[in-house]
Amino acid sequence: MATFIVRRLLLMGLVLFGVSVLMFCILLTFSPERRAAAFVTSPQQARDIPKIIIQYGLDQPVYIQYYRWVKEISAGNFGYSTVAVSPVSEAFMRYLPITIEMNLFSTPLIIIIGIWLGTQAGIHKDKAIDQVTRIFAIIGWSLPTFLFALLLLMIFYGLFKLFPPGVLSNSVEMFIMNNPEQFIRYTGMYVVDGILNGRLDISLDALRHLVLPVVTQVTVVIAILVRVMRSSMIEEMSKDYIITARAKGADRKTTCFKHARKNALLPAVTVAGWLVALSIEGSVTVEVIFNRPGMGQWLVQSATQLDIPVILSVCMFLGLIYVTTNLIIDVLYAYIDPRIQLS
Amino acid sequence: MNLSRNPRIREFKFTLSRIFSNPSAIIGSLLLLFFVTVAVLAPVIAPPKNHRNPYIIPHKGYSSVPKPPNKENIFGTTAGQYDIFYGAVWGTRTAFRIGIIVVAIAFVLGAGMGTVAGYYGGAVDETIMRVVDVFFAIPFLVLTMAIVVAFGRGLDNIIVALTLVVWRRYARVMRAGVLTVRDQEYVQAAKTIGVSDTKIMLRHILPNAVFPVMVIAFMDVGSMVITAAFLSFVGLGAARGYADWGQMVALARNYIVGPADDPLRYWYTIVFPGGCIILFVLAWNLFGDALRDAFDPKMRRR
Amino acid sequence: MGNILEIKNLVVNFYTYEGVVKALNDVSFSVDHGSTFGLVGESGCGKSVTARAIMRIIQEPGRIESGQVILYPETVDGNGSVDLLKQSEAYMEDLRGNQISMIFQEPNAALNPIMSIGDQVAESFLFHQKQILCETILSELSDGQHRPSKAVLMCLKTIYGKAADDGDSFFFKLLGSVPFLRNWDRRLKSVAIRRAVSLIGKLGIPQPERIVNLYPHNLSGGMKQRIVIAIGLASNPLLLIADEATSNLDVTIQAQILELLKILKKDGISSILLITHDLGVVAETCDRVGVMYAGNICEIADVREVFEAPLHPYTRALLKSVPKINQDDRLASIPGNVPNLVNPPSGCRFHPRCMAALPICRHEAPALVNAHGRHLVACHNSSVA
Repeated sequence: MATFIVRRLLLMGLVLFGVSVLMFCILLTFSPERRAAAFVTSPQQARDIPKIIIQYGLDQPVYIQYYRWVKEISAGNFGYSTVAVSPVSEAFMRYLPITIEMNLFSTPLIIIIGIWLGTQAGIHKDKAIDQVTRIFAIIGWSLPTFLFALLLLMIFYGLFKLFPPGVLSNSVEMFIMNNPEQFIRYTGMYVVDGILNGRLDISLDALRHLVLPVVTQVTVVIAILVRVMRSSMIEEMSKDYIITARAKGADRKTTCFKHARKNALLPAVTVAGWLVALSIEGSVTVEVIFNRPGMGQWLVQSATQLDIPVILSVCMFLGLIYVTTNLIIDVLYAYIDPRIQLS
Repeated sequence: MNLSRNPRIREFKFTLSRIFSNPSAIIGSLLLLFFVTVAVLAPVIAPPKNHRNPYIIPHKGYSSVPKPPNKENIFGTTAGQYDIFYGAVWGTRTAFRIGIIVVAIAFVLGAGMGTVAGYYGGAVDETIMRVVDVFFAIPFLVLTMAIVVAFGRGLDNIIVALTLVVWRRYARVMRAGVLTVRDQEYVQAAKTIGVSDTKIMLRHILPNAVFPVMVIAFMDVGSMVITAAFLSFVGLGAARGYADWGQMVALARNYIVGPADDPLRYWYTIVFPGGCIILFVLAWNLFGDALRDAFDPKMRRR
Repeated sequence: MGNILEIKNLVVNFYTYEGVVKALNDVSFSVDHGSTFGLVGESGCGKSVTARAIMRIIQEPGRIESGQVILYPETVDGNGSVDLLKQSEAYMEDLRGNQISMIFQEPNAALNPIMSIGDQVAESFLFHQKQILCETILSELSDGQHRPSKAVLMCLKTIYGKAADDGDSFFFKLLGSVPFLRNWDRRLKSVAIRRAVSLIGKLGIPQPERIVNLYPHNLSGGMKQRIVIAIGLASNPLLLIADEATSNLDVTIQAQILELLKILKKDGISSILLITHDLGVVAETCDRVGVMYAGNICEIADVREVFEAPLHPYTRALLKSVPKINQDDRLASIPGNVPNLVNPPSGCRFHPRCMAALPICRHEAPALVNAHGRHLVACHNSSVA
């Protein structure tokens, strides 16, 4: 087990190194003036770009530049974001909770509903529930996320005035801005902070703003899980050990859930990494459309305004997340499948 | 030789009948046929005003308030008075251009890399697959966006960026397929009688491992159009007034919710270009889904 | 000696994409109490389908169209008979693994790969012998070896007492859906595992305490087959169906397993339905033999009769194709192929390959008739010997 994890950690390091090289290649396509922004930490410094070019050796050979860039990043200096008007690391702390909050709601829903729907569709192959799920799955991954979100906004905000975009209503937002001492932002997630501050009305307001983003996220990401779960369920149901179980006298429920589903979950675990990637992409789109100031919106704004340090550090960060989740998935997989021995 | 007895042809006929017994394939192929027709006949359906660059949507006036469908603009106009019908028609060509170019190049690149990695194994495999891992570490949309930023905004750069990112999946799936085929007896047999590596890869391995990748590629044509549309939507793609569905949705962005008394007043600004994107993607996905069922040996004979 | 199982005019079809596969076409035979009945035939002739139809575990897209599967469970009442095809699914669940059980062809696939051996064997006890398990626990509790506090003891006694009465009542369904309380049956499981250990030990597997904690992939093929047999034997069934139970094993292990079956039959199971394509196995173990071809029964007779005086041309051809030690000339084979059961040949399904075919065979299927003694044959031309 230990050797397995060490080997995976080494591989992880290799991939992260690759990501940093890739990002550095992207950085190199910009002029030294633009690149300098990746090294400054304050607006004052930003005025002295030529100085920075010399200070960080941006006119020097590529490998020296790469070395210095990595050194800065590992020291925690990710540069200055002109979009956020603050150092990248500080802005991170501000934007990340918004994104995490949304995913805290959508991820459990995706997993629970996805596995349930996939199982049901697999058990009742070609029956009504399977057909309905199939249609939903095809729609789920044919509907472009941004269009789906726009349509939801049109109907539930424009027509019914139910769920507005943004994270909080204007009045609530004004209140928080004017009375920072009455609403302490412990976590940066409004639903949680509302509870911690004893202001359930703020939590509810934040929840209301979360409905459409979460619905969009779940609809778009769930399709793949349902499909994988369905097909692996169908495959497991046709295996011989199911017959053995039935010949033993197991009822339908036991054969489906105790025998088939446990085995069918294994392939579903392997797409978890894919689900993470889809959730990240979904977050980006959803935040742009519903005007939620999270990582995704920040990233897109930075892309349109050429805020290079943000793009680079967000990519590095996402790379880290991806590699870590994959490590966790591998360990988890080995844990639930007795056939795999980590040695 | 009697053609109908050739097992390959018989199998192909069976595959065709399998595909077209699936209602989603029929809907998908009809939709595709429709889009191809529109793309081919674009100059007839919507005669260009600007002959040097027909992709520029003609517009009368600069008013930022969209106009509803009328005799002159049967789908209405967007903000800036761009004709939605013209954009929808010529946008079909843009969509095909994005989807087909990206997927075709990435397919050759990815499937080639995957085959080489899977066939030779060892250090070659290790190197190629670690590069693929690096590309996989960053979500598709984010990496594409980063590359577009590096190369500068514009539709052509979006195509380049998408190609540079999407090959990674073909390489991985292709390699997995090649690995299972590589150790089959007939490949071993070909090796023992001294067939060259290139020939083995092209004649024996590719045809038997390429189908899963082809199905994915087929369905990716739609995804490419979605991603390109989103990038155009946020302002990284086509310029204002270019016949591109994503860009047209971007023009509709401020008119999604109309005035309080008539919230859906500007529905046409989003429904027409948005509907085009959805149907286009649906067409490829429906057809791809049927293809997958037809080629999947586990589902095939059920 | 009466029948334990009688199958009458069983018809099973599979509705596949290519068409309707007529897998069983009017199959009838009966198994005597205390005997071993062998069902032989080439692969794909419908032997396994018959076995599965008896237990009603045919998988999609198969369907039992008509016929009767009559069980004579002596133990229930003197001469009662039950048509299994008419019973409810719940009745069948109760019967499977309890009165009729089955052991399977492919031990590698027949065991759930992610469930421990112990759990898989114990499942049979949990399904069918809850009451006995509960009584064991109750007696252990009053034994007072490891006494918990009085209140807990009372609680446990009530619960297991209740479970011994009716383990499927609403109360236990409710209990099963509450977290923590859901674990009330942990004791039940541990008793079941203990029984599994002793059963596995009886089948001649060394270190059963260790085996129960392993997973199928840790065991060899022969071991796995013994486990599959253990699952089949868990509740001392009236009838054991062995579906090619030895076909995929090495010859030495095959012999061991057959020996095991013989011993088991001596001390308990009343009857065995042995399905195989191996005539050697049939000669060694069976009392009576049914020969199947393409979904039909061709011939049923006592084992000596079949080997010494076969009446059906297919049986004769089958016997000729078995290699013999002192044989010098080429091994005979049956010309032609097993027919495609989507479009089976008209009349007698064997006629295209039959050496003794008459014109009538082409359009009229022969009925299974008694030739002499207890020798049944379905052939228009069975007099040709």
